[in-house]
Amino acid sequence: MGQIDHILYLAATTLYGLSSIIYIYCFVFRKEDRISYAQYGVLAGLVFHSVSIALRWIETGHGPYVNMYEVLSKYAWFCAVIFLLAQQKYPKIKSAGFAVLSVTFLMMGFGMTYSRDVVPESTSLHSYWLIAHVVFANLAFGSILVAVGIAALYILKERRSVKKGNTDDPFYDRLPALNVMDDLMYRFVASGLLFLTIMIAAGAIWANQTWGRYWGWDPTETWSLVTWFMYGICLHLRMNAGWSGRRIAWFIIFSIIILAFSLFGIGYVYSGLHTDYLTT
Amino acid sequence: MDPTFEKKICTLFQSRKLAVILITLIILLSIIGTHIPQKSQLKPDVYNTWKNNHPGEAQIYETLGLTDLFSSFIFLDTVLLLFINTLFCTKNMLGNALQRLKGRFQKKEYISRLENSTVIQTSKEQNDVISLLISELRTLGYKTSQEKNCIYAEKNGFGTLGTPIFHLCILFFMLSALYGSMGRMEGDMRLIEGQTLSEDHGNYMYINEGPIFNENHQKFNITLEKFYPDYYDESNTQRGAAGKLSIQRDGKFAATDIVYSNHLMTYGGYTFLGNVYGMAPLLILRNQDGSVNSGSYITASDTDDSRRYVAMFDIGETGLEGGLMVYMTANLTSGNIAEADVEQTPVLFLKIFDRGTEIFDGKLGLNDAVQLNDKYLVFSDIKYWSNFYVVKDDGTLLVYAGFGLITLSLMIMFFIIPKRLWVEIVSDEKTGATEIYIGGRADRFRSLFEEEYCSLIDHIKERL
Repeated sequence: MGQIDHILYLAATTLYGLSSIIYIYCFVFRKEDRISYAQYGVLAGLVFHSVSIALRWIETGHGPYVNMYEVLSKYAWFCAVIFLLAQQKYPKIKSAGFAVLSVTFLMMGFGMTYSRDVVPESTSLHSYWLIAHVVFANLAFGSILVAVGIAALYILKERRSVKKGNTDDPFYDRLPALNVMDDLMYRFVASGLLFLTIMIAAGAIWANQTWGRYWGWDPTETWSLVTWFMYGICLHLRMNAGWSGRRIAWFIIFSIIILAFSLFGIGYVYSGLHTDYLTT
Repeated sequence: MDPTFEKKICTLFQSRKLAVILITLIILLSIIGTHIPQKSQLKPDVYNTWKNNHPGEAQIYETLGLTDLFSSFIFLDTVLLLFINTLFCTKNMLGNALQRLKGRFQKKEYISRLENSTVIQTSKEQNDVISLLISELRTLGYKTSQEKNCIYAEKNGFGTLGTPIFHLCILFFMLSALYGSMGRMEGDMRLIEGQTLSEDHGNYMYINEGPIFNENHQKFNITLEKFYPDYYDESNTQRGAAGKLSIQRDGKFAATDIVYSNHLMTYGGYTFLGNVYGMAPLLILRNQDGSVNSGSYITASDTDDSRRYVAMFDIGETGLEGGLMVYMTANLTSGNIAEADVEQTPVLFLKIFDRGTEIFDGKLGLNDAVQLNDKYLVFSDIKYWSNFYVVKDDGTLLVYAGFGLITLSLMIMFFIIPKRLWVEIVSDEKTGATEIYIGGRADRFRSLFEEEYCSLIDHIKERL
């Protein structure tokens, strides 16, 4: 079973990779009509990926959250699912796949560099709150990654309209209007903040069960708070300080670096309660 | 107080820029706090090792209060300022939101200035138009009110309160966390299997009490009935180390439970969590005639996860010192046989020193003895000991409620979007035509409202 799930993982990675190439190709060469190939690629990749995760779950006896191979695979799965759902609801943002799928593919590829050995689940991970904690972390990252994709489209469309005026370009015309993309970024970041809140709350309850305190200023906890505050500032600026459009788009693009660091990078810099499984 | 000064203070604390500055400051301080070793997070020996290795840095950081940053003056004051700022802003926001909730009728001049505004002409009578519009808007989920020839329609009006409610929840959360940390008591209680200790300050190995805990110890008795180094629960799931605790109050049994990872025991507001454990050999010093001179259980700890437990100790009042290492035979690390299924016997390696000179180095089994001058040291028994982390934090439930309320208010703030429509119907007596000035606005995601607005206008035009 261990080999089959890995073969499916490789197949999913390949499909995500191909899809991201198609998305980039369509974006660069303005071939929007070919984007459907990329969408089918993501869908097929998702099927292989889901089966791979399910098989590994059966093999290990625990969910995909114990080592980095599993963690990255799960994040990539959520990103692909959220992006497919988002483009189902807002079909005009499908070109954002060039950013979202590239990151998804990189996460899968990066996951392959880690050990696939089955690691027994430590007793501290036996908690329903852990499931809520990791699911909402994934939803937060997925939502914000979609916001980053839209932010990238926004910047490119806006730059083009500034440079070349409102000259017709069917590719850019088919993207949502700038104010709509601005609102969509806002909406996905707001969803991300909501998911981050639930992630932190679930983590705090779990920490209280395991360590007897809901907050201990552990580096992972502190960075999750930093991330929460950062998206809080982002929305605050958007709602109250008149920050919108390009400025907020850049803010969203840069702030995902902080989010990615707090989710994946902490273990490489700090030692703490969370860091053992986040580096292996 | 000078009213100008008072006004300036109010303006300063109502400033949303101040909020951004304070949050940014908290972010920066938090990041600094993750880079500089924090006393509160490290074991004293780890902290002291760092301090000895980096004496210069340690001195600077300690002088600036950065080694205890999250309880430092600068951090707490920034949080306090943020609290005051949030309080002022909330008051302001709440006032504005309540005003908006009342809803106001608007004339065509105001309506025409809205981002989404339309003028529709019809030959229908003014009253017919009004009743038709009200009926249509109600069908679309809007609450409507009418005053003469004006209509005010609103959907998700409650969402207007989302932002102030969110900020109130933040204030509630901060107060709950403050209350919890001020009244919190946490400590480590070490119990040897079968031992009973009272919940009292002196019985904790380590204790930290918040300023309003006021030594409010409940003094009930806690017994470690049984310790399981490798516990399997009812569903045969491996749970690691576990301890069966029982509580007695006023001589009567009060509660019992098995404590293991993610399965804590609560009693009277106290929470008991499993912590480190080890083995405690009982060493008894006997006189030549067999009578007991002294003796105690020596709590030995596993310092390197090898399941070998070590300790240093003094032997009664003999002036002798000892060092021991004890472990159980048949130390299983893998396979399907649980350790509990195999009979295990303890092995004790003992060294005795007399003023620094080694006078004994040997291995003892259970009930073996070693002669020390005119006395005998007997390895009489062995038990497990375990540290239980005992916490009393009355703010925990309030903090959980705060988390729930923040989540709920975020949902209201971002996903219950207030939408408002203003209509004025004007009849032109000369032509007999009726003009409908209609405009609308959503509090958030305005461009996404445009689509809804356009379809609403199309629908109204169709009905007219």
